[in-house]
Amino acid sequence: MKKVQNHRKQYFLLFGFLFAAFGGGFAQEPEKVIDKINAKITSVKDYTVNAHIDADIPMIKIMPSNAKIYFKQKDKVKIESKGITILPKQGFTELNTFLSDKSKYSAVFGDSLKINGTDTRLINIIPNAASGEIVLAKIWVDQKNSVIMRSQVTTQTNGTVKTDFKYGSQLRYGLPSELKFEIDVKKFKMPKSVAADINKTSTDPKKAKEKKRTKGTITITLSDYKVNGGLSDAIFKDKKK
Amino acid sequence: MLFKNTYNEFIKIVSKPRSYLGLGALTVLIGLIIFAMKADGESMVSFVTASFEQTLSFNGKLVNGNLIAFIILQMLVVHIPLLIALVTGDLISGEAAMGTIRMLASKPISRTQIVLSKFIAGAIYTLVITLWLGILSLLVSHLVFGSGDLMVLNSDGLVILPEADILWRFGLAFCVAYLSLLTVATLSICLSAFAENSIGPIVATMAIIIIFTIIGSLDVTVFDTIKPYLFTTHMASWRSFFEDPVPFDDIINSIVILLTHIVLLVGITLFKFNRKDITS
Repeated sequence: MKKVQNHRKQYFLLFGFLFAAFGGGFAQEPEKVIDKINAKITSVKDYTVNAHIDADIPMIKIMPSNAKIYFKQKDKVKIESKGITILPKQGFTELNTFLSDKSKYSAVFGDSLKINGTDTRLINIIPNAASGEIVLAKIWVDQKNSVIMRSQVTTQTNGTVKTDFKYGSQLRYGLPSELKFEIDVKKFKMPKSVAADINKTSTDPKKAKEKKRTKGTITITLSDYKVNGGLSDAIFKDKKK
Repeated sequence: MLFKNTYNEFIKIVSKPRSYLGLGALTVLIGLIIFAMKADGESMVSFVTASFEQTLSFNGKLVNGNLIAFIILQMLVVHIPLLIALVTGDLISGEAAMGTIRMLASKPISRTQIVLSKFIAGAIYTLVITLWLGILSLLVSHLVFGSGDLMVLNSDGLVILPEADILWRFGLAFCVAYLSLLTVATLSICLSAFAENSIGPIVATMAIIIIFTIIGSLDVTVFDTIKPYLFTTHMASWRSFFEDPVPFDDIINSIVILLTHIVLLVGITLFKFNRKDITS
């Protein structure tokens, strides 16, 4: 009986050793995770979606606005709005376009993190070329659903933009229901010569505090997706020109 | 009698060619601004938004009738005082220079009523100029550019006002702008009571506006105590209607200061004209 128990112990030890030695082979490599994300992204040929934009940016006061966003692969985007809307310069297609070309970057796994109750894994995306626009990208991926839950992209010209993604009915396409951009605004400088109210010196402490804020957020709530409806290229041509 | 004399005074203004100079100059200037904005408005706006556009993209119709009307108002409110003073600065001194003041004083009307009728006629002329500015800037720019949200740049940053929330702001802004111009008209009429020729009050009015504006824009603590009481500090208060939230307390303060100036200047004019020697 004792001999049988010793054998069992040995089997467990051997299994444990084998799992430790080769178990890594069963886990996904970061490139494979990105492949799955890309597969979801490329399954969407085009879409239109209604967007409700709420911007909270230091030195800019704007009421929440509505717009219609048109997208067609690979990077055609058109934003149609009745009034003036403010959106981040980057964030809609740049990251996806960059991720789609695997020769442009190396991917390395980082820590795990729970975002809005979802287990995510950080993937650091390091560009291979030094001259590209993207300096570093970090994406936190929900491996179960193959979607990006958070991204943090640092670019040469636009600083760092952090984006939080929420998903709803279009999860199967990897299309978010809400995007929350956190943008760096410390580079904003008011052109004093055109401000025109030269006689006015703001002494309001609230406004002075507002000017010192360096982060702004833009929340875009997306609804009424129409995916793969077949959008014409003519939609993306600028009518003004 | 006051009404009849006011009517006569207004007829005098209307019959002078220089009175049309203001309307003509306004028409030409607004035409030029609209033409320039039509030709190169986008690049002018991008100069304003350049600092933000590194990180943000602005979508929608930035150059629209509301923005052009705002730009016109901003550009011309600085220059219109000259056009106003050109006419109102002549109202009393012009009579003295031509010698008609004695004839005017011989009419069965008090000197106070003479002065008041000139003030009312000057106020009507100022209203005509302000209305012409409003009609041209708002109507023509809307016809040429269409409507849209208004993007205003002030020292605290950018304010983007929705289209539906703009017209009342323009209405009240024109009212306060009118009050500012009325202060200038009153100042020039007041100076006119002290002069015997037309040029003096017109030049003196502009000199006072320039000096006060410079004092107001200098960031020197020694002037801090007088700045809030200079009428030029409050001449741009119409812009406050395009802030969010609208600083009504500041606007009311500006209105009070401007009205105080008007009452004081009318008082000084009445005091001077009632004692004016018109026999020599």
